[in-house]
Amino acid sequence: MSTRQSPYHFLIRRVHSLLGLLPIGVFLAFHMVLNLSARAGAETYNKVIETMRNFPGIFVIELIVIFIPIAFHAIYGSWVVYTGQSNVLRYRYARNWFYIIQRISGIYTVIFVVTHVYLLRFGEATFAALQHFVSNPAGLIFYALGVVLAIFHFANGLWAFAITWGLTIGPRSQQIWSYVCGGIFIVLSVVGLSDLTAFLK
Amino acid sequence: MADQKMIRLKIRRQDGPDKAARWEEFEVPYRAKMNIISCLMDIQKNPVNAQGERTSPVVWECNCLEEVCGACTMNINGQSRQACSALVDQLEQPIVLEPLTKFPLVRDLMVDRQIMFDNLKKVRAWIPIDGTYNLGPGPRMAEVKRQWAYELSKCMTCGCCMEACPQVNSRSKFIGPAAISQVRLFNTHPTGEMNKHERLEALLDDGGITDCGNAQNCVRACPKGIPLTTGIADLNRETNKYALDRWLRK
Ligand code: SF4
Ligand code: SF4
Ligand code: FES
Repeated sequence: MSTRQSPYHFLIRRVHSLLGLLPIGVFLAFHMVLNLSARAGAETYNKVIETMRNFPGIFVIELIVIFIPIAFHAIYGSWVVYTGQSNVLRYRYARNWFYIIQRISGIYTVIFVVTHVYLLRFGEATFAALQHFVSNPAGLIFYALGVVLAIFHFANGLWAFAITWGLTIGPRSQQIWSYVCGGIFIVLSVVGLSDLTAFLK
Repeated sequence: MADQKMIRLKIRRQDGPDKAARWEEFEVPYRAKMNIISCLMDIQKNPVNAQGERTSPVVWECNCLEEVCGACTMNINGQSRQACSALVDQLEQPIVLEPLTKFPLVRDLMVDRQIMFDNLKKVRAWIPIDGTYNLGPGPRMAEVKRQWAYELSKCMTCGCCMEACPQVNSRSKFIGPAAISQVRLFNTHPTGEMNKHERLEALLDDGGITDCGNAQNCVRACPKGIPLTTGIADLNRETNKYALDRWLRK
């Protein structure tokens, strides 16, 4: 066939996959662990945030390591969601459910992250500000879902990552890797939700 | 002739691509060991629906009648499979017959699976051996490899995997798992291997291997038990290597 190839399709897809882990997934894990400081009380938490904010060149680091990758992953990811057509009602397999939950969690995470950044990064990122937000039950549910779904999206994405990069090829290796990803999901969710409980008062 | 057992069928019918779809029920006399094709043949002989009204015979396709050509693929009780190997005794009644949904409808249960053959062309799923002189015998294929590749060669382009794949739809250009698996088959063949790069190249394109969403329905839907998802993961590795190598050589 002499049809011209779209030269960047493969590259864009692979970059999209890579960004999900590096830096976004790593950042997510780091963020969850760092927020454990909230459990030590408002003062420690505010101090950690202050230190982070005063880190030299933080804005550039954030822009390159966080904002741009997330924006790219989110925008291209939305296009990927659009090109799929779920059929879970006819094919009720676990992996098919994960396929659709991966997409729903992705979209939810985009909405959550935008709100989260708007409220806290550009707003007042204090202990009290978040405490106020989650004191409202709807706010709490919004946050808890955001944390869990973002982590799910990461853990399940990591499962697919191993296929995309040709690391897990046979069904057995994919199965074992799914247990590892399940473990990551549970551990990070526990950490993430316990971060959140620190703000409940 | 008292108590003749009847088979109840519910068929989704459509007179043409732009016509409205409707359901029509039929009853055909039971005989031992019937399959869906024999039910449809009975309807063809006597096109009268369950209400006793004369109607047009139901249109379908079939060819080999032994589950190797894929022509008779349709949704039977919601599951895509071959009508010739779908035995009435193993099906719950009324047996619901619907055409495949991922391909343009021709009429009733008949669809046009041309896109699958176009996709095979896209990925060059053949071995180019034509020339102006005799090329002589090709390299030998190891017996173990041949046996392994034989499993992949069982693909009959039936479309069950396309029907099950959430990434195959009107909004996407995804070529689907069958064509991807054929790349693996032809890249394994010792002569086919000589044009490996051309097939991998095709998989890099829009609608190629990257458009798989890892729902893994395909491998469960394939009536031939072809390891489609293993094939996709394997070719992910191959295309990554190939793309990186090509880029570094630029
Ligand atoms: S694994 Fe890929 S090709 Fe198979 S059904 Fe899922 S999306 Fe389609
Ligand atoms: S891979 Fe299996 S399901 Fe898909 S077309 Fe070939 S035989 Fe049919
Ligand atoms: S007629 Fe060939 S597969 Fe059914």
